[in-house]
Amino acid sequence: MPLGSVIFAFILGAVIVAVTGANPFAAYSGLLCGGFGIGCTQGENPALEISNTIVFTIPLITTGVAVALPFRAGLFNIGAEGQLLAGSVACTAIGIKFSTLPTPILLPMVLLGGMAAGAFWAGIAGVLKATVGAHEVVTTIMLNYVAQWLVRYLIIGGPLQLAAGTSKSQPIGAGARLATILPADNSFIVFGLPASVYRVHTGLFIALVAAAVFAFLLWRTSFGYEVRAVGQSQKAARYAGVSVRRTIIFTMLIAGAFSGLAGAVQIAGVDHNLTDKYFSDTTGFDAIAVALLGLGSAVGIILAALLFGALHSGGAIMQSDAGISSNLVLVLQALILFSIAANFVGAIRRGLPFGRGVTPAQPSELPPAAGLMSEAAVPPPETT
Amino acid sequence: MGHKRLRFLVLVAAAMVFSLACGGTTGGGGTTKTYKIGLVTDIGGLNDKSFNHLAYLGLQKAITDFHVQGDVKESKSGDDYIPNLIDFAQKNYDLVIGVGFLMQEQVGTVSGQFPNIHFAIIDGAGTDSKGNDLKHANVQSLYFKEQDAGAMVGVVAGWLEKNGKAKKNKHVIGAVGGISIPPVNHYIAGYKWAAKMEDPSIQVLVGYSNNFTDPAKCSGVATSQINSGADVLFQVAGGCGLGVLQSAGKAGVYSVGVDADQKDADPSVIASALKKVDVATYTAIKNVVNNQFQGGALTFSIANDGAGYSIDNFTVPADLKTELDKIQGQIHDGTLTPPSDIPA
Repeated sequence: MPLGSVIFAFILGAVIVAVTGANPFAAYSGLLCGGFGIGCTQGENPALEISNTIVFTIPLITTGVAVALPFRAGLFNIGAEGQLLAGSVACTAIGIKFSTLPTPILLPMVLLGGMAAGAFWAGIAGVLKATVGAHEVVTTIMLNYVAQWLVRYLIIGGPLQLAAGTSKSQPIGAGARLATILPADNSFIVFGLPASVYRVHTGLFIALVAAAVFAFLLWRTSFGYEVRAVGQSQKAARYAGVSVRRTIIFTMLIAGAFSGLAGAVQIAGVDHNLTDKYFSDTTGFDAIAVALLGLGSAVGIILAALLFGALHSGGAIMQSDAGISSNLVLVLQALILFSIAANFVGAIRRGLPFGRGVTPAQPSELPPAAGLMSEAAVPPPETT
Repeated sequence: MGHKRLRFLVLVAAAMVFSLACGGTTGGGGTTKTYKIGLVTDIGGLNDKSFNHLAYLGLQKAITDFHVQGDVKESKSGDDYIPNLIDFAQKNYDLVIGVGFLMQEQVGTVSGQFPNIHFAIIDGAGTDSKGNDLKHANVQSLYFKEQDAGAMVGVVAGWLEKNGKAKKNKHVIGAVGGISIPPVNHYIAGYKWAAKMEDPSIQVLVGYSNNFTDPAKCSGVATSQINSGADVLFQVAGGCGLGVLQSAGKAGVYSVGVDADQKDADPSVIASALKKVDVATYTAIKNVVNNQFQGGALTFSIANDGAGYSIDNFTVPADLKTELDKIQGQIHDGTLTPPSDIPA
């Protein structure tokens, strides 16, 4: 189903490009070059394009996980963005305040600080859901705004502002930074370019570990079992002795920690300071599409994040090489999400004679989020 | 004569050899080098009706006038500045232009990575993460004398007050700045200076919203100035300043736009103080084409047609037009020099 949705989106995207009078093949070859460094015609450096894609992919993996985990519990975490911002604020604040500490002490501090801040931010929504039943969709969306305006205050006129008239913070201390995989050296030439242009950082491994932790939690622990039980049916879970409230709160706390980690890694690995770009950051929203497209599985999320990272990286190349607005990338992302949500592919398959009756009917009593990634959609890998 | 002619022929021959040597890939078919210019917008995008759009117009004009291939990358987020700048740089573009001070740090980083590539940045410099100018020799900063543009709209405001053509005629005008930083204060300095020159009895209220994006904040400052009798309000606060224009419209007084022509923002806008980013972009490209690129600052003012004003939803009386032309001429030839600090 997810592959079908992506193909569906790309076909429809090609039609849109063709209708506007441009060449869809040129558009997609630009995307392919910018995303994966394949088939570049205008002097792009494949290694650089792949490096850019990975840099964009890293936060999408971690926030994708932060959306997917609550999905399993039947919760729709739209607040990954706000939690990411909380994490990046905490990372920046700690990284500036203790800027003289050495890496072995400061780096864990900023990463754990980011996780704690993200967990706190999501925890607010979790506690409200578990105690007074406030819908997490509403509360997490609202908390996104609170986080965005908090960032705005902190770096424009607030305590983290670099200097009057700027809209960014002080840089974090050297000890708070994640190393890049290649040395950040302008004179060391790799693949014909200075090594410092390849910005892939060790946060990649953190993101992969986060995805593995997510899978382990979900499928190998009793907590994961409770999460899935609550997601399937709260009543049944309660009957089976699972504390639904406790599960909801813990799910949100852990999801927030993942998002917060994504924000901290972004500051520690890429930006090194909190800037005005975070006002318009959309990583936490793209993560929703990533989680849906990845069907809530760790491997699926990594692949979906890679696709979205490649689209992001490829958009600019497509614009300069093929002259097609990089807005097409946003259209493609929206089409992918749309076709997953509407399940066009399934509908088409059911409508065709050879596919009729193959797709089992969706169970109707699941919460809407769970329906998209229910056990029916993904067989649990509990084979060993 | 013969000597000059010979030199010309040698140049042409050299150009032909050069184009043959690089030949084939672009297929332009010209005998001169095609200069590759890359424009990286900030997150405002090409349709921002302001800096990015004007820079694009400058690029288009250069494409018409010179042998220039112009490519644009719109940045969707701050994450895109570095990859976009690097992409043009590693393809050996002859000039990479960054629009706006939002990417100062990124231009600083990338210009260090590619010391042989020329960069230009509108309204900024290539800086480190603390905002210090790295003074890379391959970066040209395109700055503006905002006080020149401010002075022209100051003439409009002062003339209206002096001649009783404003809405309240209490000899009070206002200016709403975003944050008290040099580019904002330059505008206000020119405005106040020129208004006082026109109408010595004028009182110029200056306020700051401490914000560049939220129209409500600027609206508050504007309303308090209107309540104090101001009937021409100059906004120097970007997106926040739209609140100034709208408040002036609601109160039935005049307003003045900033940076780009803002006549469409509100019917109350009678004039706009202009930073001619299109002229700056075009000039930077022209310098590269003429092999005259220089690192450091290049300042645009009335003297080189890089700053100015537009008259918007307002019919200018002939007397005012005469006065504007006179002052503009005097600033142009240096008889008058608007101050960069706000006068007392």
